[in-house]
Amino acid sequence: MSHKHSETQASEKQSSLLGWLDRRYPLVSTWNEHVGEYYAPKNFNFWYFFGSLALLVLVNQFITGIWLTMSYKPSAAEAFNSIEYIMRDVEWGWLIRYMHSTGASAFFIVIYLHMMRGLLYGSYKEPRELVWLLGMLLFLVLMAEAFMGYLLPWGQMSYWGAQVIISLFGAIPVIGPDLALWVRGDFVISDVTLNRFFALHVIALPLILIILVFMHIVALHKVGSNNPDGVEIKKYKNESGLPIDGIPFHPYYSVKDSMGAVFFMILFAFVVFYWPEGGGFFIEPPNFEPANPLKTPDHIAPVWYFTPFYAILRAVPDKFLGVVAMGGAIAVLFAMPWLDRCKVKSIRYRGASFKLLLTMFVVSFIALGYLGTQPSTPELTKAAQLFTALYFAFFLILPFTSVNEKTKPIPERVH
Amino acid sequence: MKKLVWMFSLLLAMPFAAQSAGGPAIELEPAENNLRDQNSLQRGAVLFSNYCMACHSLKYMRYNRIARDIGWSDEEVVAKMAYGMNSVVDDVETRMLPGVGMDVLGTEPPDLSLMARLKGTDYIYTFLRSYYQDGQGKWNNHALEGTSMPNVLEGIERHASSEDYAQAARDISNFLEYVGEPAKMKRMDLGWKVIAFLLVLLLLTYILKKEYWRDIKH
Repeated sequence: MSHKHSETQASEKQSSLLGWLDRRYPLVSTWNEHVGEYYAPKNFNFWYFFGSLALLVLVNQFITGIWLTMSYKPSAAEAFNSIEYIMRDVEWGWLIRYMHSTGASAFFIVIYLHMMRGLLYGSYKEPRELVWLLGMLLFLVLMAEAFMGYLLPWGQMSYWGAQVIISLFGAIPVIGPDLALWVRGDFVISDVTLNRFFALHVIALPLILIILVFMHIVALHKVGSNNPDGVEIKKYKNESGLPIDGIPFHPYYSVKDSMGAVFFMILFAFVVFYWPEGGGFFIEPPNFEPANPLKTPDHIAPVWYFTPFYAILRAVPDKFLGVVAMGGAIAVLFAMPWLDRCKVKSIRYRGASFKLLLTMFVVSFIALGYLGTQPSTPELTKAAQLFTALYFAFFLILPFTSVNEKTKPIPERVH
Repeated sequence: MKKLVWMFSLLLAMPFAAQSAGGPAIELEPAENNLRDQNSLQRGAVLFSNYCMACHSLKYMRYNRIARDIGWSDEEVVAKMAYGMNSVVDDVETRMLPGVGMDVLGTEPPDLSLMARLKGTDYIYTFLRSYYQDGQGKWNNHALEGTSMPNVLEGIERHASSEDYAQAARDISNFLEYVGEPAKMKRMDLGWKVIAFLLVLLLLTYILKKEYWRDIKH
């Protein structure tokens, strides 16, 4: 670390613009700490693209979102029309709107894979518990952000999806009905709800997202990145005090992530230009009909990224307990660092019990995601109950099996 | 690693899983319309004006935009669709006066700007061709039982060949698909260029990555 110190000193002595700036702002040292001399393990694989991709999608949502607000009108009378105005009359409006709507789904695909990486390689474990907790908070805020954004087009699915989800608050004993009324600001979803969701979607929640992303990255850089082998690269350092198995983020991972970003953009462009409705999952067809409070659609399905949790909600016969189960399904993820008591991080060196449990968890999550898109029938509800049980079983069994797990020997250094 | 790839592909496949509930009771016939067929779009626009606009509007669509996109001049679109009664900058309004629909049909005929996106062109094509007369000689429709809409293509169905009748329904479906998303052709024309550019960029970033990573030993 002395290396970094001396460089900072050197830059401050310069008479150039950089020197002037550096005497007043920690420009070079901040750059070095987080980019230029941030040492990341050299063995990142495919799964390690999704962090930077999440950032890319966030930027996409910010930029396209700003341009959408320039033409969007947050009122029950005008919202639907203004979206069609954007799609037809605003120059490149259709492109900006499709980039934003595709970005919402892409965000969840990327984030689910990013979280999966954490589960595979034990990235939530000591000393990275806080990185995981901040990430989970980000996931929670992102869900709120997506949910509120989905009301804005003011189509039938926007309206009735929001109606169903907000009515869930009503299931909470005693305060429920008043709470739902307070959230909506009306007895049904209405103009006033649309206005406040717009405010939260474009200002409050993006602000929180940005702050949390900043903290997530700062926390990560304090403890250093995990890797597919789950061993700490800080254990072996060279004479300059730098990790032997680490490489500076820039240029090595900046060029690698650029390649990943372009690859992602190709898939993204394919959807934007040739498949923007995503088979009815990214933009649901009933949303091409304006919101009508007097006409309930035959089948109300939330957008695909909420369906696993929606399936859990519907699987529980009691409405309030269903809400508790749905909330619990997300809340229990926060506890991962403490539920998993195995010292070995990476799945590569973990026992069969963990591999089995994780597979069961992933299969349940995907199955619930599918079931959440379907109208409920007695058979499908039975299936949803089974997978809900398996989903929670993962978190219930893990603390017991992970204590004395039969792990393989961990390598001293990364491969 | 194989298992991981498998899990990943499953997760990716999630949004592609089959779905879609509700919808019409009968099997839809494929419209087989083609947005690139300008003659079909022009015929569809004229048919729409003659057979649909008595009751339906396209309130998000302007005449001059239609002209520009389907190969007409401003004068042509006004002559062929509006019979000189509208200006080119007007939206495509119905000729029905407000309230008449409620009095005569018992319902307000819907705006059709987004019908193709809501229900699909196959639905429109099938709907137009699924009329039958019930016991009392009243029009009903297999695709939407109890509809208030009469069989507007009856004349064509009776007097034209079955190919021409099918083509008329296809042209209207085609026109409504265009109206549902006027930028659709533009987006498809642009998309492959964007992707081609990104493929070149991918190659360059790949070479750059390879070059930098040469000195990293595993």
